[in-house]
Amino acid sequence: MATARRRSPGLRKAFPYLLLAPAMLYLLAITLYPGLFAIYQSLFVVKFVNWTWTGLGNYRLILQDREFWAALGNTAIIGGISLALQTLIALTLAYFAYRDPLIRGWRIVFLMPMLFMPSAVAFIWKLAFNDGRVISDLLMGLGLVEGNVDWIGSIWLARLTLIVADVWQWTPFLFIIFVAGLQGQDQEIEEAARLDGASWPKIFWNISLPMLRPIMVVAVTLRGIDITTMFTNVFVMTQGAPGGATETMSYFIYRQGFRAFNFGYASAASVLMLILTIVIAQTVVKRAFRSGKS
Amino acid sequence: MAARRKSRGESRVLRYLVLGSWALVCLLPILWFLSIGFRPRTEVITPRPIYWPTFSLDAWNLLVSDWPIALYLRNSVLAVTGSVIIDLILAIPAAYALARYDFRGREDIGFYILSTRMMAPAIVAVPIFFLFRQMGLLDTIWALMLIYAAINLSLVTWIIRSYMLDIPKELEDAARTDGASDLRILWEIIIPACRPGIITAAVIAAIFAINEFLFTLLIASTANAYTMSVALANFTGGSDGIIYNAIALVSFLAFVPILILVILVQKHLSRGLTMGAVKG
Repeated sequence: MATARRRSPGLRKAFPYLLLAPAMLYLLAITLYPGLFAIYQSLFVVKFVNWTWTGLGNYRLILQDREFWAALGNTAIIGGISLALQTLIALTLAYFAYRDPLIRGWRIVFLMPMLFMPSAVAFIWKLAFNDGRVISDLLMGLGLVEGNVDWIGSIWLARLTLIVADVWQWTPFLFIIFVAGLQGQDQEIEEAARLDGASWPKIFWNISLPMLRPIMVVAVTLRGIDITTMFTNVFVMTQGAPGGATETMSYFIYRQGFRAFNFGYASAASVLMLILTIVIAQTVVKRAFRSGKS
Repeated sequence: MAARRKSRGESRVLRYLVLGSWALVCLLPILWFLSIGFRPRTEVITPRPIYWPTFSLDAWNLLVSDWPIALYLRNSVLAVTGSVIIDLILAIPAAYALARYDFRGREDIGFYILSTRMMAPAIVAVPIFFLFRQMGLLDTIWALMLIYAAINLSLVTWIIRSYMLDIPKELEDAARTDGASDLRILWEIIIPACRPGIITAAVIAAIFAINEFLFTLLIASTANAYTMSVALANFTGGSDGIIYNAIALVSFLAFVPILILVILVQKHLSRGLTMGAVKG
């Protein structure tokens, strides 16, 4: 029986590849094919069914397109501020929570914003800021503003609404990972430092936080990736207003492709974003996951 | 000793002050939005917000009479369930290969799988749209199923791989000396042993699939394939403006099952969300 089951060395060697093949083929079909298609389409001016060869024409236009650079800048600004804020808040909360004996019971409360559909969250904040005037009313109650604030009328206020929505929904993501990371650490080191008379903030800053670093890098990297693809909130809340100040890369591509039907142009933007993604993946993310594993 | 106890007491007050305030930040918008779902439309958008509305089932009646909400729900459930099944079928063998075999290119293949998670939906949106149009799949739940499966495949593979790495090798060695084949070992030993990982991966994949927005928006153009997430964005009712109370109600219909799923896998959530990088 046992000898009958023993495989030839060739099959033995090929076996892991066979196990991986279905998943790999699927992923290649869904990434490589679209990638190649986008590169091909980006070389044409596409007007409905008419494809006219333009070579690098789309790229020449796009690199001079102020809206493209604005979208890139907006994505960096909105994403950067948002990511910094949620990291800071999540870390502060995790510091207070991870030694709390009751946190297992009520951490589900902290997770709730994350469990709402993103489109629903966008509507919550659209209503709170713009249509329902709740935030303005609360601020008036505190005497901070007089009258209604036109949140979508100014560049920074409109960006702020997107940042608030993202921070509210996704701080829980970082929080739960930070808490798990801190709780997974060897408690004895902290206890020893405690017996030596160190204060909790000092212990956290000098011992726990450095040990948390690899996990933090992984979590913040994952969140960072998702933030750079921000679309739903822009689509529901601002549509890029005012004057494109909240248009992100994803929304730019969507608008060029599916609103203006400039598919060749949208594909050129996709290719540029893809190149950027690959560069970031090969540098930041690869390193983050390597250090996270060890 | 007394001083120390005092400082501990103070820090506890501060701790609950901070945690409590954030709990309120999390809860108040949700409760307020819930109240939107049970008030008449006339009390949603007003010159000044109304904090104590009159109770009304307007939104519910509207959903039942005017919106094919059962159809959206069915679409969501079918597309999400189908995508999770595709993911598990593809990911379990792949994860097994990554976790248990030494072969050339393992690191690179693993990283390639991970990196597909980084691709912004917008990058592939245009080509995928053309591809599905050519295949006649636009506006079908099949297209949604395929795309959700693709989005989550990397995540599911990595989570399951992480749990497989934790299974002691001795279990398999014993079976192997008994002459069991690799596939039988996978089916009878590995899969049962990493069941929590598989369930966690499935739940997280389901949540991301329910939430998916951009592709669904592009692929689904009629109620045939609208899911809960995109149906929401279409509660704008044309000239009537945005129908917030119906939106609120629908978002809670989706929220409750997700909440239950997450409570079930709570212990594994942080590990799942980091694709296994955090063992918590």
